[in-house]
Amino acid sequence: MKELAGRLTALDPDAGVAVRVIAYFDRLAESRAGLEALVRGAAVLAGCPARLVDEARHVRIRVEPDGTRRDPDSAPDAGWPREPLILEDPLGAALWLERDGGAPSVVDAVILERAAGVLRQVLDRTRGRAPAEGAALIETLFDPTADVRDRLLAAKPLLGHAVADPKALFRAVAVFGGRPRVLPADSDLPALPTTRLGVGPAVPVLELPRSWSAARTALRFTAAGTPHDPGARVVHADDLGDLALLEKLVVPGAEPPADVRALEATIADAPWMLMTLHAVATTASLRSAATEINVHHSTLQARIVHAEKLLGWSIRAPQGLLRLHLALSMRHLAATAGITDT
Amino acid sequence: MAMVPPPFDPELAAALAVLAENLPSTMTLELARRLRAQGLGAVPANEELGRDGFFAVEDRAVPGPPGDPDISLLICRPTDVPGPRPIIYGIHGGGMILGDNRTGVAGALDWAEEIEAIVVSVEYRLAPENPHPAPIEDVYAGYLWTVEHAEELGGDPERIIIAGASAGGGLTAALALLVRDRKAQQPLGQILLCPMLDDRNDTPSAQQMAGLGVWDRASNELGWGSLLGEARGGADVSEYAAPARAEDLSGLPPAFIDVGSAETFRDEAVAYATRIWQAGGVAELHVWPGGFHGFEGMAPQAALSRSAAAARLPWLRRLLGE
Repeated sequence: MKELAGRLTALDPDAGVAVRVIAYFDRLAESRAGLEALVRGAAVLAGCPARLVDEARHVRIRVEPDGTRRDPDSAPDAGWPREPLILEDPLGAALWLERDGGAPSVVDAVILERAAGVLRQVLDRTRGRAPAEGAALIETLFDPTADVRDRLLAAKPLLGHAVADPKALFRAVAVFGGRPRVLPADSDLPALPTTRLGVGPAVPVLELPRSWSAARTALRFTAAGTPHDPGARVVHADDLGDLALLEKLVVPGAEPPADVRALEATIADAPWMLMTLHAVATTASLRSAATEINVHHSTLQARIVHAEKLLGWSIRAPQGLLRLHLALSMRHLAATAGITDT
Repeated sequence: MAMVPPPFDPELAAALAVLAENLPSTMTLELARRLRAQGLGAVPANEELGRDGFFAVEDRAVPGPPGDPDISLLICRPTDVPGPRPIIYGIHGGGMILGDNRTGVAGALDWAEEIEAIVVSVEYRLAPENPHPAPIEDVYAGYLWTVEHAEELGGDPERIIIAGASAGGGLTAALALLVRDRKAQQPLGQILLCPMLDDRNDTPSAQQMAGLGVWDRASNELGWGSLLGEARGGADVSEYAAPARAEDLSGLPPAFIDVGSAETFRDEAVAYATRIWQAGGVAELHVWPGGFHGFEGMAPQAALSRSAAAARLPWLRRLLGE
């Protein structure tokens, strides 16, 4: 009789299994079970680890299929089946099943849907409603031409009492493919962002239009952080300095500058080229670049010689290295799409 | 009188919702016969019991009670640990009518892996085909054999712990009484997990949980009726069948007792612990809130199950002084 509750997905994904999944989460909801019990339910029924992350409410729970709670110390994999708890908000909470490979099964989808449904209620009940950042309010707050009174009125529901404090500082955050956000300056950004973020400087509430503009610029310097698009997922405008000036020079969709074109042609030459150039540009020495991409020092040397031939300039001299760095940054600027206007 | 039952723990209630289809609250003789034919869940093979070579696993036939057939002992010995090691003498559950010496042995093997102990699990004859005293006498015969052959197994005859769940918990308590009264070698401790102790089947918990959870009052009546026949609940029931009937609970080895608050056996388990203390004995009692009968084995991932399982090892370690 043991372990009947486990690994339902091993069975045929017929209606019977779905009914039992639904019964499981209905019972948890009826008896007002907590977050961990719900995440554990998803893990046990799916037979793989499940995790709930809601950075805005400081919730991070991960449970393994044997019921052990082991909270996450790495970012979720983009391929895992996932159910957002707040629709259309990639910064917001989501539930994941840590199942690799392919589309989620029917049963996985039922588990995610039912568990997420109850989790939404429990989060609202136990942690308070997540701030409803209405798109219209944000738009007003970030609009430098809007009336000051209107902007202060819009700030109240978004930022609460902090707005009344003249010394309080806030940041605009630009989310790749998502709605703009505003956060108190001292609040934590997600340590393990699931999406690309541009973070504006900390400013008083009425200067948020400036922070927003800088955040959007910063977002254009972000990358997916994958082998096909290496680079930082989160970029702070404060860290960009005058690099931000490049933003004005590179218009997405227009023909890229010559060095970027040379870089693109070089990247197309070999699958290892992009990661190699990224490692050379972002590490302190060739030795650490070799370690970063896990190749022998002599292999890296050979690759660099090859790359220099294609690029047409040396990337070992400081000036050539700067040129490579700028070309890589401008390549992001040339590629960015998905940045929304308010 | 209508009685309000205590609620199940949320996670356990959800597990029950999934299990219910395969596990009605009320056991019938017909269902028991079908379960016997199918086996109680998957029967672990010797290889699985061996835990990647940690244990050497053997089945051994040893003499039963005088004049009765041999009994089968499942013996799992740590292969790489110098003796003499403690022995856990395990008695399986199944309401006196179900199960064999592999039923639930995984629990005892979990402890044995931690404390490097030997596990001996006894096969006893089942009711109703074999009413009292067949089961307890088989259990006693297997225990005597284990004491006498402990050293041959690499075990320490001074450190035998007897253990069982449900009907096995009742038989464990009965074995402790029988060993005391027949003046055999005492075990070091007794582990009574959600034990089936009282054939009268009339406690408030038995009444509260009628038709609910796992092994409800009607199932319990079936179990005791199978073991005792017409004598069940009457004046002449032996304490070696139903340990709750014992007048004297002094002179017993230290007991570890656990039970769920939402099961038939709650009150008899609590009463047994209380009476051991009143008799000057040693007992550790855990009542897990909202636990149904056998919750820890059936929903091992639930938080409450994990706490229940985790409570046992510290007791074993203190008892063994290791």
